Amino acid sequence: MNLVLIGVNHKSAPLEVRERLAIPAARLEEATLSLLSVPCVREGMILSTCNRVEFLTYQEPAQADLLEFIRNYFAVDTDVLRPYIYEYRASEVVRHLFRVASSLDSLVIGEPQILGQVKGSYTVARSIGGVNNNLDPLMQRAFTVARKVRNQTSIGVSSVSIASVAVDLARKIFGSLQGKTILLMGAGKMGELAARSLMHQGAGKIYLCNRTDERAAELAEKFSSCPHAAGQSSATASPVAQATPYASLHQVAATADIIVSSTGSEQPIFLRRDAEHYMHRRKQRPMFFIDIAVPRDVDPEINGVEGVFVYNIDDLQAVAISNLSNRAKEALDAEAIVRAEVERYTRRMHSLDGVPSIVALQESLEEVRQNELRRMTSRLSHLTSEELHAVEQMTRSLVHKLQHAPIQAIKRAAQEGDRETLATIQSVFDLEHRAKDAEDAPITEKAKTSAPLPAMAASESIESAFVPTPDATRPASSGTDSAPKSISEKEDCLP
Amino acid sequence: MTMYLIWLRVALVLYGVASLTVIPDVLTGHDRWRKFVHPVCVSAFYFHLVALVEMMRLAHHWVPASLHEVETSFALLLTITFLAIYWRYRAISFGMFVLPVIFLLLLLPAAHPDHAPVSNQWMHNGWILLHIALLLVAYTLLLFSLLASLLYLIQERRLKSKQIGGIFSHLPPLDTIDQIAFRTLVIGLPCMTLGLLAGSLIAQESVGAAYFLDPKVLLSIGMWVLYVLMLYVRRHTGLRGKRAVYLSSLVFLMALTVWVANQFSTVHRFAAP
Repeated sequence: MNLVLIGVNHKSAPLEVRERLAIPAARLEEATLSLLSVPCVREGMILSTCNRVEFLTYQEPAQADLLEFIRNYFAVDTDVLRPYIYEYRASEVVRHLFRVASSLDSLVIGEPQILGQVKGSYTVARSIGGVNNNLDPLMQRAFTVARKVRNQTSIGVSSVSIASVAVDLARKIFGSLQGKTILLMGAGKMGELAARSLMHQGAGKIYLCNRTDERAAELAEKFSSCPHAAGQSSATASPVAQATPYASLHQVAATADIIVSSTGSEQPIFLRRDAEHYMHRRKQRPMFFIDIAVPRDVDPEINGVEGVFVYNIDDLQAVAISNLSNRAKEALDAEAIVRAEVERYTRRMHSLDGVPSIVALQESLEEVRQNELRRMTSRLSHLTSEELHAVEQMTRSLVHKLQHAPIQAIKRAAQEGDRETLATIQSVFDLEHRAKDAEDAPITEKAKTSAPLPAMAASESIESAFVPTPDATRPASSGTDSAPKSISEKEDCLP
Repeated sequence: MTMYLIWLRVALVLYGVASLTVIPDVLTGHDRWRKFVHPVCVSAFYFHLVALVEMMRLAHHWVPASLHEVETSFALLLTITFLAIYWRYRAISFGMFVLPVIFLLLLLPAAHPDHAPVSNQWMHNGWILLHIALLLVAYTLLLFSLLASLLYLIQERRLKSKQIGGIFSHLPPLDTIDQIAFRTLVIGLPCMTLGLLAGSLIAQESVGAAYFLDPKVLLSIGMWVLYVLMLYVRRHTGLRGKRAVYLSSLVFLMALTVWVANQFSTVHRFAAP
């Protein structure tokens, strides 16, 4: 496998380095095209997120200088970058890619966005011909592995951010958040984020309250201007955001199912007696207080009121940390899945490496068979068609039997990565040139042609065998014809 | 061996398997367990139903009167309610408590045929069938309501103590459990009312006014009043949590007392030989 991946990520490089190499989505296509123009880079793809910039390539026939590409494209001194850059080759690339797609290499293990980002990069690269016969199966497998990890482990089940923990807790209390009312108290950034997450889950109405009414109105305007509820368009079902004066806080609070508070108040705003009053007015329907303020806005005593649940910033953080440690445990299972998948993929790739030799051997023996039959044409002319058919069957069977042992040896050598044996077999049967031709065929074609004999169908008559049709037995080697010329014609490679 | 015993034993084994597999389902929340528990329960229900029909056909009546018949019928109603709640709310947690109860209820009927079959003139009375069937449904729903109230209490305690992970981390949301607790009570009320009315009509016809002085009958009326009171309180004050559990437990205890009062009743002993 001539896979090479170089890049930087949140573990290898500080933000200052990553931002020098970051490629915005709008420039991804152009950057990928530049990567593909590097000599010997046959296929290529770029993954650029806030935590990583990686260049995945399939190189042939020699090694490409990707550092040179980085130096030219980003106009940076590669000597400075070198300590931060990692490089993977062959099966290491497969492992790294599977781990990245499965979110095992992410800053927050198990976060779901990375798979979408990888798919985005893949789509861009594919649209410009950067992903073909060699990278395509690898990427497809990476997506499958990522799905397998998600389905077979709980790596992405629990929330690890404060806002998503708040949403999870609200769901544990109310089930669906459809139609629920939220009161956002204060203008803290985290409070706003939590309220937005709740609105995204379908909460129906949000009241905004602040000591200064203008600020509340400003926030209400912000919430009204963009659609929050999942699946709702701003034109049809924009949630109602309403600023409420501080004086009517307790009146509004009694109608709210969820209260998010993040003010800078020195004293608690919500006291136990307030909560008791709310619950009485609400006929004991549950209430959820999310207190993100420091010092706290919600008297902790309120948690003692039946039907009221109070979570402060420490509580939310504790849940997030606990979920994170659960993810770390699940990550061990996920790593085992990735390990097994890498092994399976590598084995399959090795065995595919043997296919060109098998095809070449089959072609060679078939050619010998047909030549011999042609040579004997005059001597066999007195035979009836049944007898000719029998001769045809016999020669075919003979070839089958003769090629069985070397094919098994090729397969074994390919699976074990034993290139020496492969080379010996190729040399003994004089297959080097044929194997080279077969290698140029697309992978799917190679897999097809690994079936027993590619020669004639059983129904073909012996007469047709006397007519030389060498191309009929050749595997589809036109795979590279469809590849962009700029890629296939590159020859200016490093030794 | 009669055929119904074979079907009942198959159902018993399936309930046993479901009782065991529902535990990791509730504790881990993994879908793969759910995919297993649900079809096993549906299969068990099928064999259970066939066994009950065969059992009643052999007894030549449709009124569940003997201990085996009542246990088998009650267990079937528990299964139906559990599956209905699962289909409506996806709440598998009830299975952890109900499936072992169903298994235990079927142990005796599946062990051997009924040695003391009941047979008298009431066995073919449609009103008796209605009376028993409706009350069994009402008791089933009352049991589920009590169970839901208990689950509500567990979930509420977990959320209050901020212990989100661990055992019971996959219980349904509080609001869903509350809906189940309330709706089972609401559906149970007409069943209990009509069941008691049907019983009263039979009593009026057979024993006359003296029937209403029987301790069992008086306890039944008390149970109904308490039931209505509980429903009223829940609806109008939004009673939930601890107090709802106390109230549901009280009504359920009353229902058990009414059941036990059969032994002391002089007139409500139609099942006696």
